[in-house]
Amino acid sequence: MSNTLFRAALDTSLLLCALGLLWRMSTWYRLRIGPDVRDLTLVPRLRALLRGFAAALFTRRAFHVGVALFLDVLLQRRLYRSDKSRWLTHLLIFVGFMGLLLMHALAAVVALKMFTGYESTRNPYLFLRNLFGSMVVVGLAFFLIGLRRRRRHTLHAPMRRPMDAAFVVLLGFVLATGFLLEADKIVSPQVFYRMAKEFNGSADPAELKPLRAFWASEFGVAFDDLTAPITPDLLRQGRAMHEADCETCHAGAASAFVSYPVSRVLAPLARVLDAGQAPTWLLYLHVFACFIGLATLPFTRFYHVLAAPISLLVNGAALGRSLSGAGRAVRRALALDACVGCGICDAHCSVAPLARHLDNRYLLPSHKLIATGELTRGRLLQPGHLTTGAGDAAWRAAEGAFGCTDCGRCTSVCPVGLDLDDLWQSGRADLARAGLTAPAQWVQARPALAWAESLQRDFWPRSFFDPDARDAPLSANRSSFSRCVQCQACTNVCPVVAYSTDPAYGVDLTPQKVMNLLRLGMRDLAMGSRMVWSCATCYQCQEHCPQGIRVADIMAELRTLAVQRLGAVRSHKELS
Amino acid sequence: MSSAAATRYDVAVIGAGMAGMAAALFAAERGLSCIQVGSGGGILFASGLLDLLAVHPVAEHRLWQSPYDALAALAGEQPGHPLARVDPTSIRTAFQSFVAALTSAGLAYAPLGDRNSNLLTSIGTVKTSFGVPLTMVAGVDALAQRPPCLLVDFRGLREFSARQIAATLADDWPDLRHQRIDFPGFEAVPEVYAVHLARALETRETRERTIALIKPLLGDARAVGLPALLGLTRSREVHAAFEAGLGVPVFEIPTMPTSVTGLRLLGALESVVSSRGVTRRQLSSVRALTFDYDTALLQLDGLPGGERISARAVVLATGRFSGHGLMADRQSVRESILGLPVQQPGARDAWHQDDFLDPAGHAINRAGLRTDEVWRPLDATGKPAWKSLFAIGSILADQDWMRAKCGSGLAIATAWAAIEQVAQPLRETQKP
Repeated sequence: MSNTLFRAALDTSLLLCALGLLWRMSTWYRLRIGPDVRDLTLVPRLRALLRGFAAALFTRRAFHVGVALFLDVLLQRRLYRSDKSRWLTHLLIFVGFMGLLLMHALAAVVALKMFTGYESTRNPYLFLRNLFGSMVVVGLAFFLIGLRRRRRHTLHAPMRRPMDAAFVVLLGFVLATGFLLEADKIVSPQVFYRMAKEFNGSADPAELKPLRAFWASEFGVAFDDLTAPITPDLLRQGRAMHEADCETCHAGAASAFVSYPVSRVLAPLARVLDAGQAPTWLLYLHVFACFIGLATLPFTRFYHVLAAPISLLVNGAALGRSLSGAGRAVRRALALDACVGCGICDAHCSVAPLARHLDNRYLLPSHKLIATGELTRGRLLQPGHLTTGAGDAAWRAAEGAFGCTDCGRCTSVCPVGLDLDDLWQSGRADLARAGLTAPAQWVQARPALAWAESLQRDFWPRSFFDPDARDAPLSANRSSFSRCVQCQACTNVCPVVAYSTDPAYGVDLTPQKVMNLLRLGMRDLAMGSRMVWSCATCYQCQEHCPQGIRVADIMAELRTLAVQRLGAVRSHKELS
Repeated sequence: MSSAAATRYDVAVIGAGMAGMAAALFAAERGLSCIQVGSGGGILFASGLLDLLAVHPVAEHRLWQSPYDALAALAGEQPGHPLARVDPTSIRTAFQSFVAALTSAGLAYAPLGDRNSNLLTSIGTVKTSFGVPLTMVAGVDALAQRPPCLLVDFRGLREFSARQIAATLADDWPDLRHQRIDFPGFEAVPEVYAVHLARALETRETRERTIALIKPLLGDARAVGLPALLGLTRSREVHAAFEAGLGVPVFEIPTMPTSVTGLRLLGALESVVSSRGVTRRQLSSVRALTFDYDTALLQLDGLPGGERISARAVVLATGRFSGHGLMADRQSVRESILGLPVQQPGARDAWHQDDFLDPAGHAINRAGLRTDEVWRPLDATGKPAWKSLFAIGSILADQDWMRAKCGSGLAIATAWAAIEQVAQPLRETQKP
């Protein structure tokens, strides 16, 4: 391969990679997620970066960073806890890839300097290269199998961009060309003669006959002109030549336990391949695929090899401390990049059943994270969208964001250690600023009576609003509340009523009055009441009700119903 | 879940009212493993006073100051009354045991003697009862001696009016005064609820502010009566603080149900029953109850997938109509779980007297299950329906506990007697 071309290609892809990384990483200092970091300028963020670096390196926190580097980044402790089979997959690819990168791709700058007598065709290096390569191949296979299986069982699989798939294909391609190249070099007479000329001084087939015989039988070179029978005597001569010129650099080809079997398949085609200059263009394909991977690194899934460890190390540095505003801002923006879209959070999400029921993927953490990024970048919601109906995705995203129960499971299982709880909170605050407030807020922005009157005015066919047993199994069924004797037990044990000592902010009704509204057929009025929306769902009422009425469940159902029915009124009003 | 093996218990108590709680408590105290199914919400209607027997015969509304004399009279004249079928010594032991358990859970009672006590109610009438919480005891003396006395109520508390009590008693107790104050911290709300005030009084600041509001109103009062909301779980401490702060005896008057006193009683019973190792399923109900020779099988709902329980004995303490142990339709009364035959008037028009307030009560108020001598409900042929099924409390026939003022007595006494039977090894002679 031409040295100039190689250098030029390498430099170009390094430059592209550096520019891409600069662009991607600049978002960590540009994006503002959450109202608390809204007015933050670049300078304090950069200052926080430097301070963070200094603290991580030169204070006692360096210890925690070291622990994070070893346990979280290298050993992937968090992934091991969350999903053992995916941890194995990751480990195979990670170890294999790092092995290939350091021992093979960067051999000139790493392996040659670290191991005296390093020679890629000697053992253990020959064997190790095949081992590392096969680890990546097996890991990739596990990855694809797991992906397929998860997709079959998940309704809303994590989003994958085309660039993510392209990277997986590219990685597979690099591996395939690498093994093919090695296999072809094993069988290629052309390569044999080139080497013989360099180390034996002769490229004359007749002169090299013993060596050829030896290499054909011991190393699998596919000479098609080796017609004379290979006698033990010829082999003995060949071995002597081999020991003189070749042995110092060459281990047995069978140590290449992947490439050698491949070379047996290629052997019949050796002459054709040589005629087509296969060793040369396979090398070009292999190397240029690597360069493409390098150049596109900032824009493919491969980017996680930087973003994810940085996120884990920031966690290590911030262990047990609350971050400054600038620190929070960086960490939130970093989370958008560090997410690898593994979907483990989705699998553990408490409201995943609701996502299926509502057919809204934005309830799931992996999708919500992307929506949060889109909102911050101004792509989810543009001015005027809410009133023109173009903001449908924004409405869905808001439904997802406010349906989250903040149970914290996503944060606890995230293999990259993202502080998702914080991200959801700031995302919701941003949505509220953009006019997409939480149901509790927009419902209570109007008095219950005003909602009830809007519903009564019937601007859509009444039947549209009549909830069936599926949506309102309790409040639509008299037997679930008709036993109420208005004994006030629910009100007496209700901590929300007890706390409502200021009429300006307190609840307007008591639980027993809500039950009475239902008995009077005035559910429309109950739905918008502050009692229903201030309910803490502590279940004291339900546990104490002498009549066994599911008071707390009814309250929850009324809220759900209000989101549907009052939500319809609301969007109708906003659109008209 | 339904195919999972059933969890075994010695005894399953169905019901968590007074009888069910007493049965669970006595079973646990005898070392039986026990599961209790059902909500205790009905106890919220209790006043905290433990009646034994105050009225007999009901039709004459004759009040007894000695419950044990009343029991003796009952035994002579109504031997079929469930309370007459438990011997007085057992009743005494059962009450001691029950009250000791409540005291251990922080709800203290005055020592039980042989006498009933008379207490004020929230509408100014007089109630005769047996077990009296310590926070109400001073009211018994005050009512007996009628010294100058101050009743205080709180603005916005609908279930208690000091003025009404004073007005009702004006002729008999001229020195009974009344005052209304704003409850500290709740001045701005139009309605207040007793339990919230009771909780608020458990904080020292609210307590001191309340005492400071009452103190200037004392005048010559030698006792102060307040609605029963002096604390919820720490009523003794709150009551003592009021007596110390005001310098006169302070007594609580039970409020209309559902009340703080009911919640205290429920809380104390729940904690005492749980702490003695009873498994509780308060949000479950019995979907099916079957018997296989000497083992009962219960299918419970309430937990996801349901739950299967097997028990050596079942104690039915499901109550009458408000507890849903009995169900009435236009024709007849049914027992709700097993459809056991219910002792009841022959026809619907015999359920009630013409006069709704007839002191003799109504036939429907005496409907319920009849049992053999060891508390096993009878089937249609008059034999025990199942060898290991027992019935206790208000579901039993031939009693009108509301008019006889014997609700707690009936619950505690029959629970004691039935658990005594459960605890005995199976006896051949008692096989049906």
